[in-house]
Amino acid sequence: MNVLERVSVRHAPQAISRPRWPLRRVIGASLVGSLVSLALLGLWILPGDPLEQHLYLALQGMHATYADGNLASAPLGYDHLGRSLYHRLVAALGLSLSIAAGAVICATLAGISLGVLAAGRGGWVERLLTLVADSLLALPGLLLVLMVSVILPSTPVALWLGLSLVLWVEFFRLSRATGRSALASPGIEASRLLGFGVLYRFRHHLWPTMAPVMLTAMAFGMANALMAIAALGFVHVGIPEPTPELGTMMVELLPYWREAPLALLTPVLVTFLLLLGLLLMSGGDAKASTAGNIAGARA
Amino acid sequence: MNISSRLLQLVMVVLMVGGASFLMMQSLPGDASWRIAAGRYGYDALDAAAAASVRAEMGMEASGGLSFLYWLGDILRLELGTSLITGEPVWNEIRHQLGNSLSLAGAALGLSFLIGPPLGLLAGLRAGGLLDRSLLAICSLLRAIPQFLLALVLILLIAVEMGLLPAAGHGEAKHFILPALTLALGLAAVSARLARDAMAAVTQTAFHDFARWKGLSNAQTFWRHGLRHVALPLVTYLGLQFVTLVEGVVVIESIFGWPGIGHALVHAIFSRDVPMVQGTALVLGIGFVVINLLVDLLGRQLDPRGVK
Amino acid sequence: MTLSLGLTSVVHATEGVALSSQESASRRLEIVAPFDIKGADPLLSGILFQRMQVVETLVDVDAKGELRPGLATDWTVTDDGLEWRFTMRADVHFHDGSLLTAEVARQALEIARGKPGLLKSVPVEEILAQDDASTGKATLVIHLSEPFAALPAYLADYRQQILAPSAYDDSGTALAVIGTGPYRMMSMSPPLSLEVAAFVDYWGEQPDIRRARYQAVSRAEGRALMTESGDADFTYSLDPASRQRLRDSPRVSLASAPTPRTLLLKVNANHAAFNSSDVRRALSLAIDRTAIAQVVLRYPEGASQLFPPMIEGWHNAALPALHQDVIKARELLEADGWQVGEDGIRHKGDQRLAVTLITFSDRPELPLVATVLERQFHAIGIATRLDITNFSAIPAGHHDGSLELALFARNLALVPDPIGTLLSDYAGTVEAPGGDWGAMGWHDVDFSAELARMAREGHAASDNGRDPRREASRVLQDALPVIPIAWYYQNLAISNRLESAQVDPWERSFGLSDLRWAP
Repeated sequence: MNVLERVSVRHAPQAISRPRWPLRRVIGASLVGSLVSLALLGLWILPGDPLEQHLYLALQGMHATYADGNLASAPLGYDHLGRSLYHRLVAALGLSLSIAAGAVICATLAGISLGVLAAGRGGWVERLLTLVADSLLALPGLLLVLMVSVILPSTPVALWLGLSLVLWVEFFRLSRATGRSALASPGIEASRLLGFGVLYRFRHHLWPTMAPVMLTAMAFGMANALMAIAALGFVHVGIPEPTPELGTMMVELLPYWREAPLALLTPVLVTFLLLLGLLLMSGGDAKASTAGNIAGARA
Repeated sequence: MNISSRLLQLVMVVLMVGGASFLMMQSLPGDASWRIAAGRYGYDALDAAAAASVRAEMGMEASGGLSFLYWLGDILRLELGTSLITGEPVWNEIRHQLGNSLSLAGAALGLSFLIGPPLGLLAGLRAGGLLDRSLLAICSLLRAIPQFLLALVLILLIAVEMGLLPAAGHGEAKHFILPALTLALGLAAVSARLARDAMAAVTQTAFHDFARWKGLSNAQTFWRHGLRHVALPLVTYLGLQFVTLVEGVVVIESIFGWPGIGHALVHAIFSRDVPMVQGTALVLGIGFVVINLLVDLLGRQLDPRGVK
Repeated sequence: MTLSLGLTSVVHATEGVALSSQESASRRLEIVAPFDIKGADPLLSGILFQRMQVVETLVDVDAKGELRPGLATDWTVTDDGLEWRFTMRADVHFHDGSLLTAEVARQALEIARGKPGLLKSVPVEEILAQDDASTGKATLVIHLSEPFAALPAYLADYRQQILAPSAYDDSGTALAVIGTGPYRMMSMSPPLSLEVAAFVDYWGEQPDIRRARYQAVSRAEGRALMTESGDADFTYSLDPASRQRLRDSPRVSLASAPTPRTLLLKVNANHAAFNSSDVRRALSLAIDRTAIAQVVLRYPEGASQLFPPMIEGWHNAALPALHQDVIKARELLEADGWQVGEDGIRHKGDQRLAVTLITFSDRPELPLVATVLERQFHAIGIATRLDITNFSAIPAGHHDGSLELALFARNLALVPDPIGTLLSDYAGTVEAPGGDWGAMGWHDVDFSAELARMAREGHAASDNGRDPRREASRVLQDALPVIPIAWYYQNLAISNRLESAQVDPWERSFGLSDLRWAP
C-alpha cells in the first residue's frame, strides 16, 4: 500500500450515487476532520514544546511527575527521550498533513492544467504529455521520491516535490479523460462562441463535471502521500531529526515496543485512523471501479 | 494501447531514468568520491587517502557538458557499467538480486490470488451479505495499514510471540512465508474487492439470469459465464500490482533482510552508487512496460470485443 | 578484559565431547551482525573475514590488547630500530592447499601497501623475503627509513591480512578469500550472507563449531527479533532497548564488554567561537553525560575522559572527570563575550552562536544523542541544527573547512596500539592540523612531537619518570580538541545452545573457534 498505487480512480458518475457510501464518507470525513483539528488546535488546547526533553521521564506514562511533584503536562506520556508524546504527535500530524496536502494541491493544479491542455489541444501536445505521464507511471514512485531526495537535501521541500512529481499523473489522466468529453459538449461550444474566457469556461463547464472525481482522487492521493512519507521515514530518508513526523516517530519508538507499547501505539493508531478516514472519504473501494475503467479506456 | 506506443513508452522510460541518474550524479551533495569511499570502506577506515584513491580511479575531475550524451549512449547500448561500491558489473549484481526479488514477488502474488479473489467471489455472489460486509471492513482496514507496520505486526505475532516462523533471513522456504504474506495481504485486499465487484456485476447481468433460468447450477453458471468476466479486471490489475509489489519490496526487503533488488536500491541510494541506482531503476521500469504489454495481450484474449 | 558468560562452566566429560562432536557435524551456527559484505578484497570486507576467522595477520592481539604471535611466531628489531625480522610460522597452509612462505607474505603486504590504509603512514623502505629451502625457516624482513616502534601493531590491522597469491588478480584486487584461518569460505553471496566451514588443515587447534553462516541484518530491531525468535545463535551489536528486552528471554544470554571506542564530539577549533578552549569547555560542561549514558545508551556511566579504563596505560585515572555544570558553562560563555540575545541564543557583536552538528544513522544511537545534545546546547544559548547524513560528510567537511560540530563513534585502537589512531587523528602538521576523525584546527607542536617520538621509540617512561601515554591523555583533556561523551560496550546475545562464549573487546573476532555447542 504505497504511493505507487497510482491506480486510476476514475469513478463513473453513477458509482458515486451508490446508496452505501454517504455514511462511509461521513465517518471518513469526521475522522479526518478531528485529526486535522487536533493538528491545528492541539497546541492551543494544551501548550507545550514537542522538542523539550526530560530525559529521566523517558518512556513514562501519563502519570509521571516532575521531581517537584507537579503533574506533568503530557497527557499521552513521554517518548524515549522524555519528550511529550502528545505534543510530538500534534506537531507530526501538522507536518505530515501539510506536506501531503501541499503535494496533492500542487499535483492537482499541474495535473488539471496539463490535462485540460492535452484534451483541448489534442494532437502532438496530447500525445507527448500522455507519453510522459505513462512513462512516469512505469517507474516505481518511491524510487522517484527517493531520487529527488538525493538530488535535494532531505527536507520537507524535497518530499513535497517528489510526491508532487508522482501524484500529478493521476490528476492529469483523470482531467484529460473527463475534459475530452466535456469539451465536446454543446454547452462549452456555446460559451466559446459567446466570447467567454478560458477561466470562465473551466469554472462553469469543466470543473462541475470533474469535481466529484477530482475530490475523490485528492483524498486518495493524500492517503498515498501520507503512507509514502511514513514509509520514507521508516527507511531513514524522511524528515530529519528532531522534527517530529509520524513515520520517524514509529521507527524511533519501535525498539521499545515491549517496554512501552502504548508509546508506539499512539503514532501507529493516529496514522491508521488518518489513512482510514481518507480512504473512506475517497470511497474506500476506489480501486474496485478502477480496473474496469482502465479496460474501458483502452478500447 | 498498441505495441508501437508501448515501445515509445519504453524509450521514454529509458530516457527519464537516464536523465534522473545523470542529474543525481551531477548534484550529489558534496564530493561523490567521499561518498563512494564511505560506501566501500566504512567509517573506521574512511580518510582523505581513501577518497583520493577513489577520485583517481574514477577520473572524477573530468565532467563536461558533453558527458550527458556519452552517458545516454552508454544507456542506450545497455552499458550499465560497474558498481561504484563493489566493482562488480551492475548486470551481475542485478541478475542475482532480481532473482531473489522475483521469487519473493511471485510467492506474494500467488498467495494473494489464493486469498483475495476466492473471498471476493464468494462475497460478490451474495452482495450485501454478512461475508460481503465483513470483507469490506477488513479490506478497508488492511489498506489503511502501511506495509512496514503490517510486517512488524506479523513478525511480532507470528515469529516472536508464537515462534512459528523465522523473523528475518533468507535461504530456506520458511523464510519466504512472512515477507510474502505481508505483501500478499495488501494485494489481496484489493483483488478481493475487484473480484467482488466484478462478480456482483455479473450476477446482475441478463446472461447470468438467463443461465440460471435455463437450469444451470450456481457452479456451472460461474464456470461457464462468470469466470471470464471476473478474470478480465483481475488480469488488468495484475500489471498494476507489479508496481505495488516493487515498492512493497523496497520496504519489506529492508525489514526482513531479503537480499533483493529493493534492498540493493536503498543501499545504492544511500551510498550514491549511481550506476546501481540507474541499473535497478531501468530494469524495474522496462519490466513494468513489458508486463503491461503482456497484460494487454492477455486482456485481448479474454475479451475479444474491443479488437477490430 | 574478556567477560565470560555466566553459563555453566565447561565440563569436558568424555561422553559430552563425543556427543557434541557428533552432533556438531550437522549443526550450523547462525551469526547475525550489521555489516554488509561488499566484496572479497581486504579493503572492502576484510574486517568481516577477520572476524569470521577466515583470514589471519602476521601479528595477533590477545584480550588485553597485548600483541601475540599470529602467522609470525616472533619478531625482533635491530638496535637502530630500522630492521625488523619476523619469523614465519612453519607448515601453514592456505585454504587452497598452497603453503605460506615469507615470499607469499611479502607479496600480500606489498599489495596492502599499495592501497589506502594505515600502512601508508609507516616509513617502510623495503620488504624482503628470506625463504631457506633447506631448513624450511622463513623470515620476513622489513627495512624502515626511520624507527617505528609500533610496526608490529600495524601489521595486526585487518588490511594487512595474508591471502594466498591465487586470491589476487593482476591489479592486486582480491577476487576470492583464500586465507589461513581455522575456517574456510564455503560460499559468499554479497551483500547479505556467507558460509564457512572448519578448515581441516588448520595449523592450530580444530574448532568445535564446524559450520557457520553469517547474515548481515542492518536494522537493530531485525537482529533483536531474529535473536528472540531463535533464528540467530550469535547476535553481534544489540541496541540498548533490545538488550533490556532480551534479558528476560529464556533462549539467549547476554554478554557485554567495554570496547576501545568512544562517542565523541568533534569541534572545529577554527570556528570563531570554538577557537577558545574556554568555549569548548563550556560545550563540555553543558553535556549531561550520565543521563545520555543511562537513558539513551543504557550504560552505567558516561565518559570522564577520551580513553576508557580498558585501554590500560592511556586511561589516566588522575584526571579530573568531565562533568556537567550548566552555570559554569554559561559563565565561561559570558566571559568570552557571548551575550544572550532576545531569542535566547547567544551572540557576539552581530555574530550569532548558531552551528550545525553533523552525524549519521549507521549507528542508531548517534541521531538520538545528537538530538539530546541539541537541547543541552540550547540550554546554554547555542542554537544547533542537526544534519543527519552520510558519514562521509565528516571527513569531507574537515577538508573543506565547513564542518562545525560532528558526532561519531571513534575506534581508538584501529591498530591495537592507540598510538596509531592518535597519530592520524591528533598530530598532523601545523599547516594541516589534526585528522579526519579527530582534532580540527587544533595543533600542539610539543604534543605532536611527543606522539611521533612514541611511535618511533615506543612509550617507555620518559626521563622524569612520567608515563608519556598518561601525559598525552592529560593534554587532550585540557585542550578538548574533541569532547568525549561516552565509552562504548560491545553487546552480544548468545543462544543457550552454545557455551564458553567470550566477547573480543578489540572487535577483531567473533570468537567462533572458541565456542562450543552445549552438550
